[in-house]
Amino acid sequence: MTSYRLQKGGLIDRQSPLGFRFDGKALSGFSGDSLASALLANGQRLVARSFKYHRPRGIQTAGSAEPNALMTIGTGGRTEPNTRATMQELYQGLEAQSQNRWPSLNVDIGALNSLLSPFLGAGFYYKTFMWPGALWEKLYEPFIRKAAGLGKASYEADPDVYEKCWAHCDLLVIGAGPAGLGAALTAGRSGARVILVDEHALAGGSLLAETGSIGGATAAEFARQAIAELESLPNVELLTRTTAFGWYDGNVFGAVQRVQKHVAEPKANVPVERLWRIAAKRALLATGTEERPLVFGGNDIPGVMMAGAARSYLNRYGVAFGKRAAVFTTNDSGYALARDLEAADVELAVIVDSRADTAFVWSGKARLIKGAFVSDAKGGKSLSGITIWKDGKTETLAVDALAVSGGFSPIIHLACHRGGRPVWSDTHSAFLAPEQLNGLSLAGAVNATSGIAACMAEGAARASALLGELGFKVEPATFGAVEGDIAAPSAKAVWSIPGIKGKAFVDFQNDVHRKDLGLAVQEGYGHVELAKRYTTNGMATDQGKLSNVNAIGLLAEARGVSPAEVGTTTFRPFYTPVSFGALTGAYHGDHFQPVRKSPLHDWAAKNGAKFVETGLWYRSSWFSRDGETSWRESVDREVRNVRLNAGLCDVSMLGKIEIVGADAGEFLNRVYSNGFAKLPVGKARYGLMLREDGIVYDDGTTSRIEEKRYFMTTTTAYAAGVMNHLEFCSQALWPNLDVRLSSVTDQWAQMAIAGPKSRTILQAIVDDDISNEAIPFLAAQEVSLFGGQLRGRLFRISFSGELAYELAVPAGYGENVADALMEAGKRHGICAYGVEALSVLRIEKGHVTHNELNGTVVPADLGFGKMVSAAKPDFIGKAMVNREGLIAEDRPQLVGVVPLDPAQAFRTGSHILAKDAAATLENDQGYVTSSCYSPHIGSTIGLALVKRGSTRHGEDVMIWNGLRNEYTPGRLCSPVFFDPANEKLYV
Amino acid sequence: MSEYRLIHRTALSDKQPVDAAGISLTALPEGHVIHVLAEQSADMSATLEGAAAQTHSVRYVAPGQWFIVGDEPLADDAMAALLTRLTPHAAGVDQSHGRVRILARGPMVECVLAKGSGADLALSAFAVGRSTTTLIGHIAAHLTRVEDNAFEIMVLRGFAESLWDDLMRMSAEFAE
Repeated sequence: MTSYRLQKGGLIDRQSPLGFRFDGKALSGFSGDSLASALLANGQRLVARSFKYHRPRGIQTAGSAEPNALMTIGTGGRTEPNTRATMQELYQGLEAQSQNRWPSLNVDIGALNSLLSPFLGAGFYYKTFMWPGALWEKLYEPFIRKAAGLGKASYEADPDVYEKCWAHCDLLVIGAGPAGLGAALTAGRSGARVILVDEHALAGGSLLAETGSIGGATAAEFARQAIAELESLPNVELLTRTTAFGWYDGNVFGAVQRVQKHVAEPKANVPVERLWRIAAKRALLATGTEERPLVFGGNDIPGVMMAGAARSYLNRYGVAFGKRAAVFTTNDSGYALARDLEAADVELAVIVDSRADTAFVWSGKARLIKGAFVSDAKGGKSLSGITIWKDGKTETLAVDALAVSGGFSPIIHLACHRGGRPVWSDTHSAFLAPEQLNGLSLAGAVNATSGIAACMAEGAARASALLGELGFKVEPATFGAVEGDIAAPSAKAVWSIPGIKGKAFVDFQNDVHRKDLGLAVQEGYGHVELAKRYTTNGMATDQGKLSNVNAIGLLAEARGVSPAEVGTTTFRPFYTPVSFGALTGAYHGDHFQPVRKSPLHDWAAKNGAKFVETGLWYRSSWFSRDGETSWRESVDREVRNVRLNAGLCDVSMLGKIEIVGADAGEFLNRVYSNGFAKLPVGKARYGLMLREDGIVYDDGTTSRIEEKRYFMTTTTAYAAGVMNHLEFCSQALWPNLDVRLSSVTDQWAQMAIAGPKSRTILQAIVDDDISNEAIPFLAAQEVSLFGGQLRGRLFRISFSGELAYELAVPAGYGENVADALMEAGKRHGICAYGVEALSVLRIEKGHVTHNELNGTVVPADLGFGKMVSAAKPDFIGKAMVNREGLIAEDRPQLVGVVPLDPAQAFRTGSHILAKDAAATLENDQGYVTSSCYSPHIGSTIGLALVKRGSTRHGEDVMIWNGLRNEYTPGRLCSPVFFDPANEKLYV
Repeated sequence: MSEYRLIHRTALSDKQPVDAAGISLTALPEGHVIHVLAEQSADMSATLEGAAAQTHSVRYVAPGQWFIVGDEPLADDAMAALLTRLTPHAAGVDQSHGRVRILARGPMVECVLAKGSGADLALSAFAVGRSTTTLIGHIAAHLTRVEDNAFEIMVLRGFAESLWDDLMRMSAEFAE
């Protein structure tokens, strides 16, 4: 006795058989089958083991709420655990594996847990694994982790591609059932931009399982024609296999489309899943309802199924869910199934209606018992019989299939994602959506409307009204007469069923039964949020789609209050599980983050650069040469060569901002702490930018290119931040100033040419005179290059302390100009140098970077006290920079530090202790902000921020690295290690 | 080194154009891009119309800001003349090497760009000539609809290769 395929009927293509495997067993189905329908057609009713007790479980639903039939689909990198068989379309070669069982689905050792079930009630692990404490890490936690979960993810990389997309529309309709189609047809005919999403492969919703007719056509044919019309409209986009999973601010909906989850071999150029962000001016929720289970003993035995699901398998897939069936219902919908079962010649033994006073007139052959309940179901791996309770008396009946309908819960999930709470309705025995949803309306069964005709009419009317708000004038679509529909008006809910003997499950996926909820109330966890955590009801992949309302009803009964008072847990995205692949989209591997390349990138690469990621930039770190075996060897060579001959370094990554306008000078005077008002044309000046609180924000040089045009450089790290800061200053702080800003970072290839021979080398390509007289230190001039072929900007500035220049040329010529300089400099010993050498050179000169500008220092801490203008009336940071704490004598101040023994080294981040002080943070005097090996000093050198550092030059200290337990005796000194008189700078 | 012949290396010189029925991607010539920055409330319409009437096209950027673009590089004197024409109520900043333009064209171009941009690019909402600044994936770009089925995508030079690679991936579905 089991489920089987009917000889005829269903929306499957019987001419297209499909072979598949379940737990290695070869089975077959048809095109149009779901995996669930195909399993049922093959008589495979046992499909899973439950989470805790390992109870045999069958297919319970025909849709996305399925709690039981979770299985692992695919192999290798395409392995996908916890896939709902009810949502998985069948394809040729599909491989499905049951989960959470060992050694097999039929014989599962874990089922012994059922014998221990009296000890495994809700919260058992909170009480059981307390003592002895030492066993928690060694035994309990590993054991629980091993036992937890259902499917197992693959360790192999997913070979498929995913992507994310945006879409925009006037009206988004979610759900393509009667109400959704009514709405979409109305909206589509108006010319408005419409998107209709439906989570199934075939749009039509409940119409696909309906045997009634609309306008003389079968409901399924009506749906087919409606979809054909919608597909013909250029203003309508139909997204099937697409689940709307979240409603977000701005009326943006998240949806995931299973583009290629129904094919054996996905096309490599097409994503398998696509995550949509749909910005809708208006949206209509037509998501229908979820049928509620009934809580009786053995309600989880394979063969017990939701009545609507049984009807769907019967009419849509041509599958009978058993050979001798029973229906247990609290409302009229059970009769629709009963009628269809008899029409399909499936034996129907009995209809059990909990209502003694039902007004429904049953004219079929099956026996009808009113005012009765199924109190228990019997069977192990397959249903064999039921016990019917009526007025205290019981009757046992042999059946192999039981359909249940405990009423309907509107699928209002999305309507509650933006803070609204569900509202209990006694009239409908259901939670309904909150009112006044901004931009979102509901139509059809989700709005507690029953009957095909009423749902379609309501969908059409709502769409017309919503589009009317947007200025579209359209009459609601009308449809032909509906015949044969058994509408199921709301009926009184049944929470507790009398006479139960067996285990009655509320949450199938988490093995929560009715006594667990009673225990939760008894132990003080009766609040719905606490009960959820205590019992795990409503957790995991189905998030309580079938169980939550029953749990609330039982909690309400146990507490003696209305479900309204119990309320619901909070509804949050996602409505159904969304894969990490879809959320990640294409942004992994090579596309994880953009690569930002300097215009000199290829020049660096061909000169042997090793690149380092600095933010999104790829910077040259050092340039290896043949025979060099370590990075230090390369860096030492580069540093020595720059000071001896010359070097070329790519500094294109520095932020560059062009500032124009009549008030540009005044603007700079306000954003820098030092004076800029008198900077002459053709000159550059080092500038210090403070935050409002007086702390140093960024530094760089700004050059006056023309009377009303300046060229600012920023640090690489703060380029975007400074640009934003300047825009804020211009737009919000001083809108009266005529200042306009343009980021030109990418316009210029900028190269530093440093070293005593830099002028000679540079002169080879610069047409103008660049002697010390013509281009003195801090000159900034436009120059002609290569006999007038190109114009560039030349700045006499130095970060190395050497005679040095920065040359900026239009980016497209950067590589070529750098090549020319290397060629011209060959006989002068020029080398390429990277940021490591750049760093050594600047540490040797005591120049600061953001290692020192660390968000805690004021200019005086760095020895830049004179750069805080006392003469200027105002600048950013002026009001705060002289606060008491910022001028205290024991402020950390910039100082140099060297090891007493040149053979010893220390690391950046090490702390400075007084010479004989104990190594505790209490004795901390500061820390090393930058360090390197200096080939000119012959030892490690460092810059440090040390309390009263500027007054302590010559003091012996201990350099302490507590993390590595390193102690290096050292000495504080001037932060300028090389050429303190700057003799090399001005030559 | 006046004998040295300078070569302008374009940012996308290593990339092969895509030319398929659904979508084509072409790196536009690195001609000229001038960032126009006007004084507050300045009426630049006559100046910009004048520029557009010549060999330039004008793209809106932000209030008081436009790009003047064209396929031909501007010689120093032509550039100077153009910048002079913008005065006294606006200034121009040369971005000819800082911005790279890509042309995406084809019946599927909106679908391709929807994979990266949140802007509503339907023709009814975003007519020919309209521009916007948007993110394409993780990269900021400036979009202009230049034909019913074609967009000019302007991107910072440093990101041009990365954006091209992203556009290739986004186009793959329609590029067979």
